[in-house]
Amino acid sequence: MKLLLLTFYATSVLHTQKTEWHAVASWTWDAQDETCGICRMAFDGCCPDCKLPGDDCPLIWGACNHAFHLHCILKWVNSQTSQAHCPMCRREWQFKE
Amino acid sequence: MEALGSSDCNLEILETLSDDAIQEITESYDGFFTTVESLISGTGDSSVEDEFVSHVYCLCKYGLDSLVRDHFLRSLEQAFEKGGASSFWEHFDAYSEKKLTNYGEEIQVVLCKALEEISVEKQYHEKCLSIVVHALQSYKEQSSVDRQTSDTERVHLFSRFQSMLSSTLMTTLPQHFPEILHWYFKERLEELSAIMDGDGIGEQEDDCMDLDEKLRYKNGEMDVDDGYSQGKRLGHDKLVKNIGKVVRDLRSIGFTSMAENAYASAIFLLLKAKVHDLAGDEYRTSVLESIKEWIQTVPLQFLNALLSYLGDSVSYSTTSSDLTSPLACCPSPSFSKVVTPSEGIVRWKLRLEYFAYETLQDLRIAKLFEIIVDYPESSPAIEDLKQCLEYTGQHSKLVESFITSLKYRLLTAGASTNDILHQYVSTIKALRAIDPAGVFLEAVGEPIRDYLRGRKDTIKCIVTMLTDGSGGNANGSGNPGDSLLEELMRDEENQENVGFDDDFHTDDKQAWLNASRWEPDPVEADPLKGSLSQRKVDILGMLVDIIGSKEQLVNEYRVMLAEKLLNKTDYDIDTEIRTVELLKIHFGEASMQRCEIMLNDLIDSKRVNTNIKKASQTGSELRENELSVDTLTSTILSTNFWPPIQDEPLELPGPIDKLLSDYANRYHEIKTPRKLLWKKNLGTVKLELQFEDRALQFTVSPTHAAIIMQFQEKKSWTYKDLSAVIGIPIDALNRRVNFWISKGVLRESTGANSNSNVLTLVESITDSGKNEGEELLTGEEESETSIASVEDQLRKEMTIYEKFIMGMLTNFGSMALERIHNTLKMFCVADPSYDKSLQQLQSFLSGLVSEEKLEFRDGMYLLKK
Repeated sequence: MKLLLLTFYATSVLHTQKTEWHAVASWTWDAQDETCGICRMAFDGCCPDCKLPGDDCPLIWGACNHAFHLHCILKWVNSQTSQAHCPMCRREWQFKE
Repeated sequence: MEALGSSDCNLEILETLSDDAIQEITESYDGFFTTVESLISGTGDSSVEDEFVSHVYCLCKYGLDSLVRDHFLRSLEQAFEKGGASSFWEHFDAYSEKKLTNYGEEIQVVLCKALEEISVEKQYHEKCLSIVVHALQSYKEQSSVDRQTSDTERVHLFSRFQSMLSSTLMTTLPQHFPEILHWYFKERLEELSAIMDGDGIGEQEDDCMDLDEKLRYKNGEMDVDDGYSQGKRLGHDKLVKNIGKVVRDLRSIGFTSMAENAYASAIFLLLKAKVHDLAGDEYRTSVLESIKEWIQTVPLQFLNALLSYLGDSVSYSTTSSDLTSPLACCPSPSFSKVVTPSEGIVRWKLRLEYFAYETLQDLRIAKLFEIIVDYPESSPAIEDLKQCLEYTGQHSKLVESFITSLKYRLLTAGASTNDILHQYVSTIKALRAIDPAGVFLEAVGEPIRDYLRGRKDTIKCIVTMLTDGSGGNANGSGNPGDSLLEELMRDEENQENVGFDDDFHTDDKQAWLNASRWEPDPVEADPLKGSLSQRKVDILGMLVDIIGSKEQLVNEYRVMLAEKLLNKTDYDIDTEIRTVELLKIHFGEASMQRCEIMLNDLIDSKRVNTNIKKASQTGSELRENELSVDTLTSTILSTNFWPPIQDEPLELPGPIDKLLSDYANRYHEIKTPRKLLWKKNLGTVKLELQFEDRALQFTVSPTHAAIIMQFQEKKSWTYKDLSAVIGIPIDALNRRVNFWISKGVLRESTGANSNSNVLTLVESITDSGKNEGEELLTGEEESETSIASVEDQLRKEMTIYEKFIMGMLTNFGSMALERIHNTLKMFCVADPSYDKSLQQLQSFLSGLVSEEKLEFRDGMYLLKK
């Protein structure tokens, strides 16, 4: 180990130390689509009822692999009298396990 | 009438006259002429008088009394013209050459002497006149005409004499005489004022006197028991008496109005000088009270004494005796009397005070610009001005003069937007103090607002003022930005109070109170500009008014906030939270929603960051060449709510890249199914460069860091290779490399062409001699922004409308700005609907003009041919 370090110094006149890297990133939901099929808002945004995106307004995937804002699909499911269907593909709506 | 009547008689008598009678008349007529002459010149003895009287009788007998009067007066006039008047003026001949300069002390003596002489002369003439009157009277008594007529006779003759006298003097009046009078009164008054000032000093010594006592003192009621001030009083009395005598003499020769003019103008001059002296360029103290006091002590005392000496103030002596005796044990002659102020004095007092107010007001208005520049300190001057204006009501003068000075001194290309804004805020504050209704503020603010709208950086400056403590003001006069934030805070409190009132006190009684407190707008209010209630003076509101809409301001603020947040490495956003909260109060929750999300991102990032670090502590031991996760912190954005961020490709050195992807993976683990997308060119890097002989610390952008890190592996790179490795274009690389060259870390050596120039690491300090001077040149390189500016965003958004506009102009030929605006509004309703303001459109169009796509002529836009 020590020997390795020494060789490192020998080949390089410059060595950076005490680096503090503050990086910037953006987060995104890993969904195939851009916008929620119900509210037409961006997934990376939030549903009309929410104020803060991200953890406060999560996405949910159905068994059919369609994603919606959790709040949007819940509203949809609760408004259906009988068994709810996916608004996109009309298959029976099941939350993805 | 009388003269006319008697001349009618003469005609009838003329026919019946006998030769004897004619003879008699001629004789006595001749005799009359000679006696008049000797009487007036005063050469004859007492027999002349008798002779004169008998001639008068004789002439009267034939009804020639009007002749007697006319001739006598004419003779008097001639004599006076020859003697009195000319000798009177001769006294002043010596001074005719000097105009408006120092007449010297002797003028006082000369004036007194001249006046005395002419008075003596006049008295003598009056004596002669009374002889005539007497003669006429006794004749009339003999011929049994009632006394009534003879009395009117006397009055009539004397008034004719008086007017003859003064008109003679007036016609021969030399031009410089009024000036001499003026000068005389000025000198006297200054002397007097000096005496009174001496008093003032004595008075200040006993400051413990309570106000009542002081007031009494001023009214001359104070017990005068020390000889010193009594001496002053005596000097004062003497002086006043002297002046009084001069005035009385002047009056007696018919110069009443001239004398009054002279001393009035002298008093006003003195007052003006005093106001200027007291007020001057000092804005930090209130001077109005001391001016009023001075009026009370000097000019009013003087006038009081003068008028009483001349016997004008009727109530003076009658009320004095019974009122003063119990109060003053040792009254000095002129000060002991309590003056129930006579009408003249009251009138004078009002005149003087009005004049003082006006002078002070003019003085302050002329300097209003300076006063407002150092406003919070100069508030006493503002308070003075307010009182003056209440008294004089010349607000329009203020508005006009202030606007002129604004245009001349502030609204010029040379003034920085920041300074203009600060002055605007001070103006708002100061004028709010003068006029709470804000009517004049409206008028004054208009030109400033118009001007600021024409400046590009206005919004930016306003936002900086709102958010930054320093307000970007380099000359560091306090913390003006802070004061604006404080303003926001205060307004916030006010609004809370108002809200409280609204909730609990809106019963009928309160409504009635509000109604009874209503006051009409001042007359100067422009009815078009809304009523009192709408003109609530709210500084932030007025600033927003400059920009046009709060959306624009919020947008600009968002860009600025984004910039600030991206440059933060410590997640410390307390001040930003406070600002956003304050802005929320003013602009509403909804418009600040995105800013809140941005702040929230920072808070979340902090939490995520610690979570990830905690998770990775348990991970495996570091392999060689691998960096600890501790070196990395991150800001994670909700991109949709941030302003567009400038993305630039960047290849990071291996270890860092590995670190980032590990970090992203851990994030994915914690927050499934969310994942991270790095914006590699953003952020901040603190690094220490360790050379053989030195260590240098830098805080740079990731791109800079990526560049310098490449030199760890290899000592020299060509531009081409380096740009390929780092993944940025050569010109962009060039800019970044310059930073390191200027720091003396890299050195450039010329290759075959510019792309093959070689960059070499400067290994030791000895071969980096020239770096010091270059450092300054590249200072601005560091101020790169990662956020697209509002203008860039706007341009991007507006380009979709470019086609519409072009089509429009092809069809219509040329269109005015407003028409384009309205047409766009009408037709671009579909997605994306047209929601830009007129100003935004205008700036976009002027952009097109400068790109030579459009032409702008006489207020119309047309296609460039």
